Amino acid sequence: MIALKPRSAFPLAVALIAFLFLGLFLLYPVFTIFKAGFLDPAGNFTLANYVNILSRSFYQASLGNSLEIGALATLTTTALGVPLAFCLARLPVPGKALILVLAALPLVLPSFVGAYALVLMFGRAGVVTRFLRDLGIPFGSIYGTPGLVAVYTLTLYPYVVLPTLAAFKAVDVSIEEAGQNLGASRWRVFRTVILPVVIPSVLSGALLVFMETLENFGVPFVLAEDKPILAVEAYKLFVGEVSANPSSAGVLALVLVLCTTTALLLQRHYLARRRFATGARAAPPELRPSRPWRILATGYSWGVVLAALVPFFGVLVISFLEYRGPVLQGNLSLGNFAELMNRSTRPLENTVLLATAAAIGAAALGVPIGYVLTRFRSGIAHVLDVVAMMPFAVAGTVLGIGLVISYNSGWVILTGGPIIMVLAYMVRKLPFNVRASSAILHQLDPSLEEASINLGVSPARTFFRLTVPLMLGGIVGGMVLTWVTVASELSSTIVLYSGPWATMTVVMFEALEGTGAGIAAAAAAVLILATAVPLLLVYRLLRRYELAVM
Amino acid sequence: MTAVTIDRVEKRFGAVRAVAGVTLEIRHGEFFTLLGPSGCGKTTLLRTVAGFADLDAGQIRFGERRIDTLPPHRRNTGMVFQNYAIFPNLTVAGNVAYGLKARSMPAAAIAERVAAALRLVHLDGYDERWPHQLSGGQLQRVAIARALVIEPEVLLLDEPLSNLDAKLRVEMRGEIRELQQKLGITALYVTHDQEEALAISDRIAVMRGGALEQVGPPASIYARPATPFVAEFMGTTNLIAGKIAEALGGRIRIAAGGIVLEAQAQGHAAGAAVMASLRPETLRLLPPGETPPSGWARLEATVARVELLGALTRVELATQAGMPLKLAMLDLPPQQVAPGKTVALAYDPARVAVFAAP
Repeated sequence: MIALKPRSAFPLAVALIAFLFLGLFLLYPVFTIFKAGFLDPAGNFTLANYVNILSRSFYQASLGNSLEIGALATLTTTALGVPLAFCLARLPVPGKALILVLAALPLVLPSFVGAYALVLMFGRAGVVTRFLRDLGIPFGSIYGTPGLVAVYTLTLYPYVVLPTLAAFKAVDVSIEEAGQNLGASRWRVFRTVILPVVIPSVLSGALLVFMETLENFGVPFVLAEDKPILAVEAYKLFVGEVSANPSSAGVLALVLVLCTTTALLLQRHYLARRRFATGARAAPPELRPSRPWRILATGYSWGVVLAALVPFFGVLVISFLEYRGPVLQGNLSLGNFAELMNRSTRPLENTVLLATAAAIGAAALGVPIGYVLTRFRSGIAHVLDVVAMMPFAVAGTVLGIGLVISYNSGWVILTGGPIIMVLAYMVRKLPFNVRASSAILHQLDPSLEEASINLGVSPARTFFRLTVPLMLGGIVGGMVLTWVTVASELSSTIVLYSGPWATMTVVMFEALEGTGAGIAAAAAAVLILATAVPLLLVYRLLRRYELAVM
Repeated sequence: MTAVTIDRVEKRFGAVRAVAGVTLEIRHGEFFTLLGPSGCGKTTLLRTVAGFADLDAGQIRFGERRIDTLPPHRRNTGMVFQNYAIFPNLTVAGNVAYGLKARSMPAAAIAERVAAALRLVHLDGYDERWPHQLSGGQLQRVAIARALVIEPEVLLLDEPLSNLDAKLRVEMRGEIRELQQKLGITALYVTHDQEEALAISDRIAVMRGGALEQVGPPASIYARPATPFVAEFMGTTNLIAGKIAEALGGRIRIAAGGIVLEAQAQGHAAGAAVMASLRPETLRLLPPGETPPSGWARLEATVARVELLGALTRVELATQAGMPLKLAMLDLPPQQVAPGKTVALAYDPARVAVFAAP
């Protein structure tokens, strides 16, 4: 720790900029939405909006559905993820390194593309559905709860697998040996020592899954059909609202933020009391189970990882098949891509431009905050820690709506342009950037910075001249992850974009409602390639700095 | 050119007083060591001088100039870190030039000073090497060159030898001492190794629980410890609890465990409970039939165990009343030293340190 004088200007300046940025582009917009919920058309205080919305069974159902689907998906994700983590940590599964690469992909590929691929394949007019129907095999509906839970499970399971795997590996071999040496059976050691150490990691991953399902917009939009879902209904109310004051959307936004905040606080509260110091020097050895178990573990691990990628492969394949109108033909063609590009290449350019700007902006803001959090022990650092995690609790749609009603009139008008989109992305990606940079900093010896300061270089210059260059690999890796997740962002984009600034995800979103299945598949394919390629390029960097989208 | 004044310095971490009101005067050109067990506050005290720990009270001055109000990068101290803290993204020359560049020195002058500094630590020709190509000892030399090249007012060393193997540690401590003498720079050195402190320092401050236990030159700290803690921390000793049986001028007799111990000490009244420290090597084996030198006292004890350490032999004995005694001698023991044999011992009362019982 560099315990600098309180008068040291650097942490103070960073904190000020962070507070200013989040105050303007997170707190103020969210506050504006809340306020909107409490105002009548004449601008007077009222609870009528709440009574009106919350008494309608449709919106009650939307809250119930969101929570139910979230809870179900959390359970299935955990049930799928924990055994997988155990297989990867302790069992002889061939191709582990590759499994780990593939397992991280669903988190950065747009989940909404996954949902859409499912529709293209198994939906009412889906490729597989029709194939089966032609064979005379009936096929159930994938719309509604089953489809949503399936998509969430297959796209969000890495949130559980990655921390759980790390936790399994962090139990030092000697702990297990000590347990056995003291006379406990393998199973007893697992139950009494290993499980308690692993459970906090499982739960922290599971809560991330839950929050992600609550705030996700694209997946339910594609798959929920007539089932009301909170995040979608808030958006629909906002778009449909005639008056300038989105009071009804404000009500649902508040409900949504309350749910996510509760989940976030629960997680923080739970984890705060359960941190096990587990600096494993020797990771526990692989178990040597009998052949059937080995085959089972291998089949399970590869099965889960590949199943999660099937929708994405499916989209890639479909994008190369010929469509005539909405009807799929059997032959290969580049027609979908030609049609996509003939319409306009602008969305692709927009995606690249906006994601790049957001990645740079989020790193420029997040890295100094992460530095102050990690290296300075002071009151400001603690406040900053809480504030920088707040974007987690605000769903993309809510943030988008808040930004629109805050900056569509008055002194600063940002709506309709690209800046407001970049700002929304920066806010949303700030927690990741802050966490990533503190993860990188934990691998850097603080005495390097002390040596620099001792040699006469001020703390601020030390940060820019020594720390940033030393962090560079990690920062670049983090920026690529930010870039990739912004490129597939939909929930705030859909609220904030205006005509010329439509992105690839918007193109897909619009094609869903029309008949351009071929174009949507081509757009999805382009997006998948645009995200997977940079990821694979920096994969080594990400491994070295232990970065993951969390 | 710099004396360091540490004036009633206080540093708390929560309820813990890491440095509890320490006052020290370090003379210009002095090699001063802070010595103590881990957690005694020595590193914290060093870091307050460097500016990496704020003071809760007190002042630190270089000469007449107060420096504890300056930010750490304006204090002009050269610090050598325990893990060297060599910048991995810079070459050897880049590391050594770092502080000079911060001082906006012209490139030609920097090159000249860097070359001179590397020569000083016997690393000429290593300019363009990268840190990962160097051994621990070489990294240590880079760290020292980097701290010295800025011509600091005070050189600060935080356990700089603890990451080296035993042989290199002895070699490097000699080199550090030699460099410090040659440059005449004031040095503040932190270690938990009493042998290292004795070998290298002009003066030592032994710390315990954030406070100074004793300050003095190595010989007096070792031979005339001020407290039982210092006596034990500075090396193996016979710590004997007893009562003053007789005090005549400077000569006192202490009744302890069935024997009478003689010592030279002032200010102890008859009947007072005291502790005495007698180093094993000050106890001499008296060959049969010989008388001790004049003024020396004698004792008899039975050999319990003999431990051969090569150059040194340690002997554990017991007095007739069963009080254990330790004796150390150079070379191999004579024949009569065998378990069960009774031997005659002699010691100089002037070498016995006496403290009021705690």
